[in-house]
Amino acid sequence: MTATNDKMAETDTQSRRDVLKTAGAAGAVGLAGLAGCLEGGGEGGSGGDGGDSEYPALGNYPIEGDTATLGFNVPQTGPYQEEGADELRAYELAADHLNNGGGWVDLWDDLSGDGVNGYEIDYVTGDTATDADTARESASRMIERDNVIMFSGGSSSATAIAQQGLGQQEKVLFMSCLTHSNDTTGGDCVRYGFREMFNAYMTGQALAPIVTEEFGDDKDFYQLYADYTWGQTVQQSMRDFFESEGWNEIDSVPTPLGSDDYSTFLQDARDSGADVLFLDHYGLDGSNSVSQAVDQGINEDMEIVVPLYNVPMAAGAGGAIEGVFGTDGWDANLDNEPTQVFAEAFEEEYGSTPSSPARLAYSATLNYAAAVERAGTFYPPEVIRELEGHEWGNGGIGDEIMRECDHQAMRDILVVRGLPESEQDANSGRYWEVVEQSSYPDAVGYDCDTGPAAECELGDYGDE
Amino acid sequence: MSVAGSIFGFAIQTLAVSSIYILVAIGLSITLGTLKFVNFAHAAMYLVGVYVGLAIALKLQFSGDIASRIGLESFGFDLGFLAALAIVPIVTFGLGLLMERFVARPFYDRPDTDQILVTFGILLIVQELIRAFVGGRSITFSRPDWAEGAISLGPLGTYASWRLTIIGITAVLVLSVYLYIEYTDVGLAVRAGTEDAEMVNLLGIRATRPFLVIFGVGSGLAGAAGVVGGPVFSVIPEIGVGVLVPAFLVVVVGGVGSIVGSVVGGLLIGAVEVGLQLTAPTWSSVGIYIRAALVLLVRPAGLMGVVEVDK
Repeated sequence: MTATNDKMAETDTQSRRDVLKTAGAAGAVGLAGLAGCLEGGGEGGSGGDGGDSEYPALGNYPIEGDTATLGFNVPQTGPYQEEGADELRAYELAADHLNNGGGWVDLWDDLSGDGVNGYEIDYVTGDTATDADTARESASRMIERDNVIMFSGGSSSATAIAQQGLGQQEKVLFMSCLTHSNDTTGGDCVRYGFREMFNAYMTGQALAPIVTEEFGDDKDFYQLYADYTWGQTVQQSMRDFFESEGWNEIDSVPTPLGSDDYSTFLQDARDSGADVLFLDHYGLDGSNSVSQAVDQGINEDMEIVVPLYNVPMAAGAGGAIEGVFGTDGWDANLDNEPTQVFAEAFEEEYGSTPSSPARLAYSATLNYAAAVERAGTFYPPEVIRELEGHEWGNGGIGDEIMRECDHQAMRDILVVRGLPESEQDANSGRYWEVVEQSSYPDAVGYDCDTGPAAECELGDYGDE
Repeated sequence: MSVAGSIFGFAIQTLAVSSIYILVAIGLSITLGTLKFVNFAHAAMYLVGVYVGLAIALKLQFSGDIASRIGLESFGFDLGFLAALAIVPIVTFGLGLLMERFVARPFYDRPDTDQILVTFGILLIVQELIRAFVGGRSITFSRPDWAEGAISLGPLGTYASWRLTIIGITAVLVLSVYLYIEYTDVGLAVRAGTEDAEMVNLLGIRATRPFLVIFGVGSGLAGAAGVVGGPVFSVIPEIGVGVLVPAFLVVVVGGVGSIVGSVVGGLLIGAVEVGLQLTAPTWSSVGIYIRAALVLLVRPAGLMGVVEVDK
């Protein structure tokens, strides 16, 4: 199909959906009006506040009935399935807290614990299989069949970018969960997508000064990177920031997403003579590549850096992560109230310590709900305007701001270093020491006209 | 690194990558060759090998839904790796006998599609049972202390001890099975049954018994593959499905029913994978399929397979 045909198909889809939704809304209003006449007065509509009726139909707005359905689309299979499983637990916990109180809902003034804006929260789940096409299909089903008013997910960035593109097209809000590619809020940013997770660019800003100070400022490095948008932007950012600190990249080699066996790639990396090896892999891929690197004795000849860490990945790698530097967005052992409240609620429900992707999932859902409450409506453009520029400090990682210019949260990042197996504690999710909480704006962050944001054009709200 | 070192390194990498494929493929190949049975459940034996091996060698932590409900937290004998390598093949041999008697035999005369459906279904059931008890999170199958770390072979390079160990274990197991098939009465009956099962029966030899044994042997090998492969990769319930596809490609390339074919096919697939990883990494995961397609274009029965003429 040509680009023109693609555009036409897209427009047709939008038109059909818009007509159907408008007709549906008109029908509902008509029936409600008729019911009102028969009952001799009273307000029409069902559930929630009557304020919703002041906006025209858009995407899956208005909500029919008194239940707002959210879509949680995560990788339940594939190389990032462990992150997906933890995200799903947190999403379900968030829905429960929104309806019944508990967790951050009790801490956030915007939330009541009695549904959202008068609507009970329900949800549907999907499996992206860590594949962009599958993610898009699953999200389409949620939008078309389940009429979700918001959907959320991530892991991987390719799936997140595919889903937020669909969200923009269908005018249904997508709250990114775990996506670390620069493109998500760079060249592929959309008005209908928001990301609290930091990106590869910010990882480079946080890691480079600390790692170069630790290992010296005149090192050769070699990169193995997952061959898709996330890995590509990570290797680009690592190259940019570490070369600016005086290091020299010898080579960077792509590896297929979902590889089991990295031994050949690792052997080549060792033979390169580099001092430092960057393993730009995540999830099961990251566990496998780090374990196999240590298995081959590479840690005796080279320093290893894993730019993006998380707990399930560290647990999979076990003692192999000893001394390995990386970044993460949050840690269940941080000493602040929101962290403790969330970790305790999660442990009580599931008997395990939440990972940083779980916190992102929980936070994305609650941030959306809080924006709806502030806006007083689920009407997407109004919710978007509430999210844009929103500042909050009760998410467990210090002060954060969701920027209006690129929908990227500016926030702190943890630079961590793996502990030896003897000091790791699976029960408390402790696999590393936090070397530094690199803070925004002192250590990380960038202006709206620089870095990935320079390539971002958000698109329309849908109510212009 | 010297040219000799590069060639040696390539050979070691190829052997290391091929070993697991070969161990799993041999069982698939001999059941397909002798019994004409498409056994996707063979990968379930690999899966059982990994998890039972973990429970025997170390301790298995349970975090699955059913385990949580019944209060099962952990189970294991902590007997060490060699005990697992000795016991697991016996366990999977026994499971193989049960599978032959109660699953395979009723399906011998059914179409291939029925066999694929029932055996793939069994694989999924085993996979999900493991998830329900052990959980979906990845587990580390620690290597034995004596095979930790790397060994330096001077100018020939430095290699993971465990990879070299796998190559050695695979060589011993494959050679044992080869000698068993080639030089024992059971092996003779199996080979004769592969050529013409009806004639073997007419000669008064009950082919079902050797077939039963060979099914068990194949399962035992898959279990052993699970024990040696477990410490290489993060252990998750999907690893059975993950190993099935390349192992099946090895059978297709090597030729059905041939142990030598499985070894040659495994080495070829491994060499292509390693070669592409070194030269064109983005093609490494699809390259093995292209290689298989090319072999089939030239030799439709595989490298060592024999074309059967329909009567």
